[in-house]
Amino acid sequence: MVETFNDLLLGFSVALQPSILVYAFVGCVIGTLVGMMPGLGPLAGISLLLPATFGLNPIIAIVLLSGVYYGAMYGGSTTSILMRIPGEAASVMTCIDGYAMTQNGRAGPALAIAAIGSFIAGTLGVIGLMLLAPTLAAFALRFGPPEYTALLLMGLFILAYMSGGSMLKTLAMAGLGLLIGMIGIDIMSGYTRFSFGIVELGDGVGIVPVAVGLFGVSEILLTAGGVTAPDVQRPKLRDLIPSREEFRLSAGPIARGSLLGFLIGIIPGSAHIISSFVSYGIERRISKHPERFGKGAIEGVAGPESANNAAASGAFVPMLALGIPTSPVTAVMIAAIMVHGVLPGPMLIQQQPELFWGFVASMYVGNVVLLILNLPMVGLFVNLLRIPYSYLYPCILCFCILGTYSVANNLIDVWILLAMGAIGYVLRKFRYDLAPVALGLVLAPMIELSLRQSLAMSAGDYGIFLERPIATTMLALGLIMFLFALKPLVFKGKDWRSTVGLENE
Amino acid sequence: MGEPQREPVRGGLRSDQFSGLMLVALALYVGWENRVYPVGTLQEPGPGYMPLLLVIFLGAMGLLIALWGARSTPLAAMKWPEAIRAIVILVACGFAAFALERIGYRLTVIALLVFLLGVLERKRPVPVVLVALGFSFASFYVVGDLLHVPLPRSPWGF
Repeated sequence: MVETFNDLLLGFSVALQPSILVYAFVGCVIGTLVGMMPGLGPLAGISLLLPATFGLNPIIAIVLLSGVYYGAMYGGSTTSILMRIPGEAASVMTCIDGYAMTQNGRAGPALAIAAIGSFIAGTLGVIGLMLLAPTLAAFALRFGPPEYTALLLMGLFILAYMSGGSMLKTLAMAGLGLLIGMIGIDIMSGYTRFSFGIVELGDGVGIVPVAVGLFGVSEILLTAGGVTAPDVQRPKLRDLIPSREEFRLSAGPIARGSLLGFLIGIIPGSAHIISSFVSYGIERRISKHPERFGKGAIEGVAGPESANNAAASGAFVPMLALGIPTSPVTAVMIAAIMVHGVLPGPMLIQQQPELFWGFVASMYVGNVVLLILNLPMVGLFVNLLRIPYSYLYPCILCFCILGTYSVANNLIDVWILLAMGAIGYVLRKFRYDLAPVALGLVLAPMIELSLRQSLAMSAGDYGIFLERPIATTMLALGLIMFLFALKPLVFKGKDWRSTVGLENE
Repeated sequence: MGEPQREPVRGGLRSDQFSGLMLVALALYVGWENRVYPVGTLQEPGPGYMPLLLVIFLGAMGLLIALWGARSTPLAAMKWPEAIRAIVILVACGFAAFALERIGYRLTVIALLVFLLGVLERKRPVPVVLVALGFSFASFYVVGDLLHVPLPRSPWGF
């Protein structure tokens, strides 16, 4: 514990440097603005800012990008509460009671509770990250290729179980992402696969064009022409203070949302989205007055907002401790720090403690910055929402092209972006979840390498996964999840997801 | 699976059946392309080994989606009201991608914004010109000049 405290002090000595504070502030502001724009969620925001971090040192880069991530999560809730437009998917549940509170003249307290809940959940999430990541990293040093293969497969099975829609569709999308990840040079044999004679594809397909295309461009294609400029309330500072009763009602949902969000955040998938859905479902179920939900219950704002912010912190645990992304956002962040020669994984905490602990401390700082920044400035930020969407989306589209091109100054990335936008549009029309595609793309080289190494180690015997206790346990857990997910499909039973509204996502 | 049924369209292919079969077709195509890469042996898997496993997996998932898709929305009942606008936007972006390294970032963005705002959204000329010029020059200044990200310039150096 004393060692952790000393490490945290080291982190604060890094994070409180004026230059890093400035970047944390800039990241939070940009993130908040990005989160408020429909079609630009945290993923697109981080992807677009990625090229700008190439010239920065790795700590500043990761502080800036995590500021964008946190800011975007918060910005999404502002539009949900004031306009019933979720800036990003995790804020869908906040729309229900947040907007109802706005209609009841309680927009200010809804915004304040969303900010306070996000702050508390974010801070608790960072404490969880701080305590769990080093332990997990120390444990992961025992991992060999079979354990990594089992871990990655378990992640994909859990992703299928936790996904919002059909499990089969989620697995198919993970398979599609893994196949896209096969494009490029095979590092073990030197063969260039599926490049169709395009030299640039030898390096493989990057996560940025795929993620921005699937999430950003497809959103624009779906919504362009359909949204007009809405009326926006601008709550004054004095209107933001919640009543004593509202504080009392919010305390439980914030605590439960924080714990639940952090735990779900560690699991692969669209954790911050799922956590907000699950939190809302739980709050409605345990409430003494469930009939208030949908009509402006503050618990319906406090729970989901806390859960999605805690999940954002939870997602960093496997990213930093194991080097494994559990969401498209963490995948892009891994890409961002790998550009600087930093390899996330078990050795990171030992070899570069100032980076890990600086990042942890900067997350505390970022949470404080967001709280200070967003509540007094909410009236200023909502001005952005007055811009008609017909003016906004062409500019967002230009940002998508600019950001994607800038990553590698490569035109093929822009073509991939557009192709992925079209594919994402069609897949969304057929109600496929897109997060597994991005995850599969990032996990593909890891899975292939560890599987082939495992088979080489065992002279082609798949029994190696059953001979090693850690690998066997992880595969068994994954298989159990898979069978649980199959149950409603085979027996026509009621899925837990339907009880929390995930099937309607 | 699939959208809730809105119209009493009977018979015909369902949306999940169609999308599942498309995935099977994709798996077959990738499997065909994969034939040129050595699969290797279990002891020493080749570059075609993992793609082969994935093709089988994707094909199987596609088949299961199609088999379980009998209750999804009929394909003919699916609504595509935004499709034409989406295609126009994509084609415009395609032209922009083609032009980007030929006429430079600023001219490409101006042309794209003028088309999207002026032609597609039918906005008044003055705001269109102001937004196109303002966005193009401001984004070039921030990303290209301040953040030192190299952006393509036109043959005329601007």
